[in-house]
Amino acid sequence: MSGGIARGRLAEERKAWRKNHPHGFVAKPETLSDGTVNLMVWHCTIPGKTGTDWEGGFFPLTLHFSEDYPSKPPKCKFPPGFFHPNVYPSGTVCLSILNEDSGWRPAITVKQILVGIQDLLDQPNPADPAQTEGYHLFIQDATEYKKRVRQQAKQYPPLV
Amino acid sequence: MNDNQISLGDEQEEIPDSFICCVCLDLLYKPIVLSCGHVSCFWCVHRSMSSLGQSQCPLCRHEYNHFPTICQMLHFLLLKKYPVAYKRRELQILEEEKRSGCFSPQLDAHGCNSQASQDLHIQNNGTAGPKQTRGGDYEGTGNVTDEEKNSLLNTDSGSADRISVADVICAACKQLSFHPVVLNCGHVYCESCIVKPDEQMLRCNVCQSSHPSGFPKVCLVLGHFLEEQFPKEYALRRAAVQLKQADSKHENPNACATKADTQRKKLSPWSDPVHIRFGCDSCGMFPILGDRYNCLDCFEKKGFDLCSHCYNTNSKLPGRFNQQHTPEHRFKLVRKDSIRNQLKLVIGDIDDISLALIIASISSEGTISPDAQENAENRSAVHAPSTSSGDEQDESLTSD
Repeated sequence: MSGGIARGRLAEERKAWRKNHPHGFVAKPETLSDGTVNLMVWHCTIPGKTGTDWEGGFFPLTLHFSEDYPSKPPKCKFPPGFFHPNVYPSGTVCLSILNEDSGWRPAITVKQILVGIQDLLDQPNPADPAQTEGYHLFIQDATEYKKRVRQQAKQYPPLV
Repeated sequence: MNDNQISLGDEQEEIPDSFICCVCLDLLYKPIVLSCGHVSCFWCVHRSMSSLGQSQCPLCRHEYNHFPTICQMLHFLLLKKYPVAYKRRELQILEEEKRSGCFSPQLDAHGCNSQASQDLHIQNNGTAGPKQTRGGDYEGTGNVTDEEKNSLLNTDSGSADRISVADVICAACKQLSFHPVVLNCGHVYCESCIVKPDEQMLRCNVCQSSHPSGFPKVCLVLGHFLEEQFPKEYALRRAAVQLKQADSKHENPNACATKADTQRKKLSPWSDPVHIRFGCDSCGMFPILGDRYNCLDCFEKKGFDLCSHCYNTNSKLPGRFNQQHTPEHRFKLVRKDSIRNQLKLVIGDIDDISLALIIASISSEGTISPDAQENAENRSAVHAPSTSSGDEQDESLTSD
């Protein structure tokens, strides 16, 4: 079949993001050591929502796009060991809109992904646990869960 | 590095978000309207279709099985409205098409297409009959299309930005399309002008091709554009349609699944013969389920195929990828097994559950490896003598 459109689409995503993006978020393609831009990997920052335990944290997220994008969703990864019921130990985010077989649609933009993940931070989905620690604390020990979340938010201060 | 080359030249044309393709995020090029009413580019739709089974709208995940034809009305509308940006898209796509050796249909007579494809265009009009005429009287109207083409030519070379009501009329009532719906063949109607047949599938009055995907939903992108562009006329049409509907309670078009619909739906790639990665060049069914008829005379890389339904009925329309197919071409019948049986032949007899798992993993991979498929073909020839593979064994058929 004719070549993919991943790069073209990502160039447009970049353009749209530069024109307008939600406050506090960062999203930019990786720059390689030789100065060239790799559109297939984006380094992003998701701010914790104000008024939640996640506030004050600026969480680093990496989006890995495949050549099949946007037919297939990107893989979204927090740092390994990230504390959240719906984040795998590897850091991969488990979210319906990022799953090709359930909620992914090629029309979903980078902006929607990041905002979706921001929402997920404070509204975990207990029906779809991805790590034991975060899940167990979330359903068994609310105070400890809160403490851990706040702790983690402090661990990721703004990058001035 | 890329940031500088992203926007080339067409900054002066402000393109509204509604005309941005949701897949490539660029100006819609050769737009296709799916039966859910959502619009995407020809290649974007084609790429996002599943070669194994049901495809889903890139915007709403609405399921469909047939690759629709480009909506020419929307195509010419965009060309007129955003000539610079549309031209840039045309060149960009043509470049990609040249690289892949696979072309989308040529739609206009004065673009950057070659003499050969113009010939093809005219030839198609002559041979394929009613394909592009707008009248209900579709017999012997080969000339009308040429006139239409000329008028299109004149209008868009004359006043670049002007779009007249004549460009956007309903194929049935010949007035400004109100709540436009687009059929699988790409023709545009008012929602209220479509009469649902009781027993059979919805059929286009212009080209007589059937609309296999239930009752189409209003194309809001087009509808809103028309409302904006012709506020007075659109309001008049609204009033007229409402009056008409109050007069004679229009049979509810939303109760859509006709009997024929449900009958056709019964084909499934799981249990029916499936031709992975082959689509029907007439109705657009992809992948083809059931028997497939492959053209022996089309030399294009893409080939030309028909599903058995289209082979056995009228349709001898031109190809979906600009193949120079004519009704004189000969066909051969190709038979295939269902996915279930194709896999069984490759991996031996296993229970249904493991098969289902394998299918799931294949569909997430997107393709079945060509080796595996070839294997299945070869073996099916051995196991089932009635199934033929290889050219000598194929039943050659001549279409008449």
